[in-house]
Amino acid sequence: MSDFVSKLGSTLLTVVIAVGGSAAIWVGANLVLNQIKRSWARFSLMIHAGGGFAIGVLISGNQLTKYSSPSGNAFVNFGYWVWLPLVLAFGAAVTGLLVARTEAATPRIAIGAGGFGVLGLVVGVLLRSKAYPEIEIVSLLLSVVVLAGIGAGISVLRKRPPLGGALLGAALGWVIGAFGFPDLTGSSGWAIVACVVPAVLIGARLGMTMIPDQAGQSAADQRGRAIVFLAPALLFIFAALVVPTIRTIYLSFYDADSEAWVGFRNYTTVFKDEKSLDLSGWDNIFTSRLFFIAVFLLIVFAILGAKGRTQTGRTVELGSSSMFPLLGGGMLLAFAVFTALRGTIMNNLWWVVVVTFFSTGLGLAIAVLADGARLERTAKSLIFMPMALSLVGASVIWRFMYVARDSSKEQTGVLNGLWVGLGRLSTDESPAPTVVVALLTFVAVAVFGRFVVSRNFVGAGVTAIAGPVLIWAAYAIWNGLSGEALRVVIGLLITLAWIGLLALMARALVVRNYGGAAAPGVVAVLLGWFLWRYWAITGGGVGGQRINSGGRLIPGPINFIQESPFNNFWLMVVLIWIQTGFAMVILSAAIKAVPSELIEAAKVDGATTQQVFWRVTLPQIATTIGVVVTTLIVLVMKVFDVVKVMTNGTLGTEVLANNMYREAFSNTNRGLGAALAVLIFVSVLPIMFMNIRRMQREA
Amino acid sequence: MTTTMSPVLSDPGPVDAEHALEGGRTGIIDRVYGLFRSIPTGALWLIVIIWSLPTLGLFVSGFRTADDQRATGWWELFGSSKFPWVVDPDQMTLSNYDQVWNTKTYNLQASLLNSMAIAIPATVIPIAIAAFAAYAFAWIDFRGRKPLFIATVSLLAIPLQVALIPLLQLWNNGAHYTIPGLDKTITVIPDFDLGNTTTAVWLTHTGFALPFAIFLLHNYISSLPKDLFEAARIDGADHFTVFYKLVLPLSVPVLAAFAIFQFLWTWNDYLIANTMAGTNPDAIPTTVVIANLAGDFGANENLLPAAGFIQAFIPILVFFALQRYFVRGLLAGSVKG
Repeated sequence: MSDFVSKLGSTLLTVVIAVGGSAAIWVGANLVLNQIKRSWARFSLMIHAGGGFAIGVLISGNQLTKYSSPSGNAFVNFGYWVWLPLVLAFGAAVTGLLVARTEAATPRIAIGAGGFGVLGLVVGVLLRSKAYPEIEIVSLLLSVVVLAGIGAGISVLRKRPPLGGALLGAALGWVIGAFGFPDLTGSSGWAIVACVVPAVLIGARLGMTMIPDQAGQSAADQRGRAIVFLAPALLFIFAALVVPTIRTIYLSFYDADSEAWVGFRNYTTVFKDEKSLDLSGWDNIFTSRLFFIAVFLLIVFAILGAKGRTQTGRTVELGSSSMFPLLGGGMLLAFAVFTALRGTIMNNLWWVVVVTFFSTGLGLAIAVLADGARLERTAKSLIFMPMALSLVGASVIWRFMYVARDSSKEQTGVLNGLWVGLGRLSTDESPAPTVVVALLTFVAVAVFGRFVVSRNFVGAGVTAIAGPVLIWAAYAIWNGLSGEALRVVIGLLITLAWIGLLALMARALVVRNYGGAAAPGVVAVLLGWFLWRYWAITGGGVGGQRINSGGRLIPGPINFIQESPFNNFWLMVVLIWIQTGFAMVILSAAIKAVPSELIEAAKVDGATTQQVFWRVTLPQIATTIGVVVTTLIVLVMKVFDVVKVMTNGTLGTEVLANNMYREAFSNTNRGLGAALAVLIFVSVLPIMFMNIRRMQREA
Repeated sequence: MTTTMSPVLSDPGPVDAEHALEGGRTGIIDRVYGLFRSIPTGALWLIVIIWSLPTLGLFVSGFRTADDQRATGWWELFGSSKFPWVVDPDQMTLSNYDQVWNTKTYNLQASLLNSMAIAIPATVIPIAIAAFAAYAFAWIDFRGRKPLFIATVSLLAIPLQVALIPLLQLWNNGAHYTIPGLDKTITVIPDFDLGNTTTAVWLTHTGFALPFAIFLLHNYISSLPKDLFEAARIDGADHFTVFYKLVLPLSVPVLAAFAIFQFLWTWNDYLIANTMAGTNPDAIPTTVVIANLAGDFGANENLLPAAGFIQAFIPILVFFALQRYFVRGLLAGSVKG
C-alpha cells in the first residue's frame, strides 16, 4: 500500500508541476503584455529578457558553447544547460531597458548595437572549437546581400521603412553565410567576428524602434495578445500534428530504416501483397448462398419498384415497400462480395459498410421506438452506456460472449449457451431452465412495473407475491418434465405464434395493405423455416445440436472468433454494440428537434404514424443521418483496438490500422508502416473535407 | 415502427387502414390487437436487455471462482440454489478482485494511477490551451484570423495513425533538423528522455485533442453576446481580464462537455498509450494492462472480468453522473479525427 501512496504522491506532483508550470508561463506572458500600456520601459526590459533567454536556449541546447556539456546527474545537467540563457537574458534586458529610456535616436541605436555587440562577443568567445566557422568571403557576402534584399522587400510590402528589414535580413544572412556554408574548422578570431556582427545588426535594428504612442501601444497590445493566446495551441498543433504528418508522408517513400529512397515501393508492396488484397476468389461470389438470396431480394425490389413507379412515380422511396428488399439485398450482396474477396483492405471496407449501416439503422430504430415511451431516458442510458467503456474492455466483454467450448462440455459463452440450448430443446434433450426462468421473471417484472406506473398498487402487490411463487412452481414443473414434453409444449407455443403471424398477414392482405403484410410475412417465413427444422420434418433439429443420419446427437457450438471469414462480422458486432448508442443519441436529439407543427399538420391531413415518420420526420433529419454516417465511416476506417485484442489480426481478420501498428512497431518497418498510415489518411480525407465544409456552412 | 398514436382523430382519413378497422369496437379481437400495439415498447426493452446483457455477464463473472467460470456459464449463478434467482452466497467470491488488485506482477494499482496521470493532464491542459485559442479566434482582431482558424479546424481530418511514428521518434530522441544542402544538423527540440513515460502519452493526447477542442469551444465562445465585450472594453479591461473574469465563467457548460468527452477518451485509449509507453511496465495505463492480460492465451482468463470492471468503474461513474454534458459534447461536434 505504501508503494501505492508514494506513486500517488509522485503522480500528483508531476501533474501539478506540468499544469502549474504551463499556467505560470502563460499568465506571466500576459503580465508582460499588461506592461505595454503601463510602462513601455518595463515591457521592453521583459520582452528583451525573454528573447535573450530563448536564443540562449537554442545555443546552449545545441551545445555550441563551452561549459554546456551535460554530465553528472539531472540537476547538474540543468545547471549546465541554463546558465548561458540566463546571462543572455540579463544582458538583453539591460540593453532593452536602456534603449526604452533613451529619447534621442542616435544614442539609442548606439546603445542597442553596443549592448548586443557585447553579448555577441560573449557568445563568440565561449564558442567551442568545433563550432568555429571558416569564413568564405564570397558566400558570406552573397548570403548577406540576398537576405538583406529579401528583408527590405518584406518591409516595403508591409509599408515600413526598408532599412529595418534589411538589417534583420543581413543579420540572418550573416549567420547562415558564416556558419551554414563552410566547414566548421576555423579560428577563434573568425568565430568572434561571426557572432558579433549579426548581434550588432540586430541591436541597431532594435535601437531604431521608437517608443510607440497611445495608438501604437494599443496595436502592440492587440498583436501581443493574439500571439500569447494562440501560441500554445498553434505550437502544439504544429509540433504534434502538422510536422509529424508531413514526416510520415516523407518516411513512406523510404525503406524500413528510413535510409534509402524507394519511391512508391512501399505502396506497391501493400497492393501486391496477397494478405492485403486477394481477389482470387472472385468467382466464389456467384456460387454462394448469400448471393442467391441477395439476387432474389433484388428481383423482389425490381418488381415492387416497378409497381411503385406506376403508382407514385418513384422506384424507391423512403419507407416504400421496395426499400427494404433493396437494403436487405444490398447488404447480403456486400456480404457475398466481402466473404469472397479477402485481404486487409477488403476487411476494412467490410467493416465500414457493416458497422456504419447497422449502427445507424439500429440507432435510428431505437431512437424512434424510445421517442415518447415510458422511462425513455433510462432505456436510452442503458443502450448508450457502452460508449463509456474502453474498446479494450468491450472486446474483453465480447470475448466472454463468444466463448466456444468443446462440444462435450457445457458452454460458458452466452451466445453458444443459447445456440446449443436451442439445439438441445429441438432434439428433446435436457432443457435449459435458466432461460425460462429469465423469461418468466422478465414478464413478472414488466407486469409489476405496469401496475406501479398505473398506480394499481393492489395489482402490484399481488404480482409481487404471486409472481415469484408462480415462477418457482414453473421452475419445479419444468425440472420435473421430460425433454420430450417440453419440446412439444414450446413447439406448440411457437407454432401458435406462427399462425398468429399468418393471420396478421392475411388480415393486411384483405384490406390491400401490402406494405403492412411485408413485416409479418418475412417473420413468418423465417419462423416457418425454424419450425420445419424444429419439428424435424426434414433434418434433425435446429441450433447447435442436431441428430445426424446415424441417429446420434452432435453438438455444434459456433466458433465465432476462429471461423474465417465470418469471424470478421462477429468482431464488427463489438463496434456496432458501442456505436449504436452514439447514433441513437444524435438521431434522437434530431427527431425531437423536428418542429411539432409539421407533424401536427401531417396528422390533420390524415397521415398515419408510419407516413408521418417516413414522409415528414425522416426527410427532416436527413442531414443528421449524414453526419452520423460520415462520422462512423471515419471512425470505423481507423478501427484498431477490437481487432488487436480479439485476434491481433490473425485468422483473416487483419485491418489497416492493426497492420500499420504491426509493421511500424513490431516489425520496425517504418517505411511500410508509414505508407499504411498514409493510406488510412487518404481514405478518410474526402469524407473529412465534406464534414469540414458542412461545419463551415453551419458556423 | 409505430410509436404511441395520438388520440384518434375525428376524421381517420381515407388511407388509414388501421384506424378504419379499429372503428370503436371493444371486443376480444380488439384487445388482442391492442396487444400488438405494445410491440414497439416490448421491442425497445428487449433491445435494452440484449444491450445490457454483455456488461451484466462481465460483472457477474467477476464474482465467480476460476473453476466455476471454466465449468459453467455465468447465468448458472442464478440457478445455483433451490429457488430461482436467489444467489447462493457460497458460490460468490471476491478472490478474483483480491488477486488482480494485490498481485504485484499485474501492476493494476500502479496502472490506475498511470491512467490518472495521463487522463488528468490530457484533459486539463487541452482545455486551457484551446480556451485561449478559441477566445483569440473569436474576439481578438488580427490579420489572417479566418484562414488560420479554418486551417486549424481542418486538422481534425488527420487520423491518429499518421502521426504515431514521428511522435514516437520525437519523444524518444527529440527533434533534429538537417538543413538540406548544407548537411548541418540543428536540434530543434532536445531529447527530454520522454520515451515510455506517461508524459509522452498525455502530450500526444493534448496535440490530438486541440483542433477538436478549439472547434468546440470556439462555437460556444463566439456566440456569447457582443455587448458584453464592448462594455468590458469601455471599462478598460484588457483581453486577459476579459478572458478569465468573463469568458471562463460563462463557458463552464462547454468546458464541462469537452472535459468529460476528453476524459473518457483518454482514460479508455489504448493505441496511443501502448505505442508511447507500452514497453515500460511502470508507465502503462489500465487499458494496456487488460489488453496484455487478454493476450496471455487464457492463462489469466478468470481475472479479466474483475480487471475489466475495475478499469470501467470510473468512466461508468463519470458517464452516469454527467451524461447530460457528455451528450452535449457529442452533439456539438461529432467529428473528432
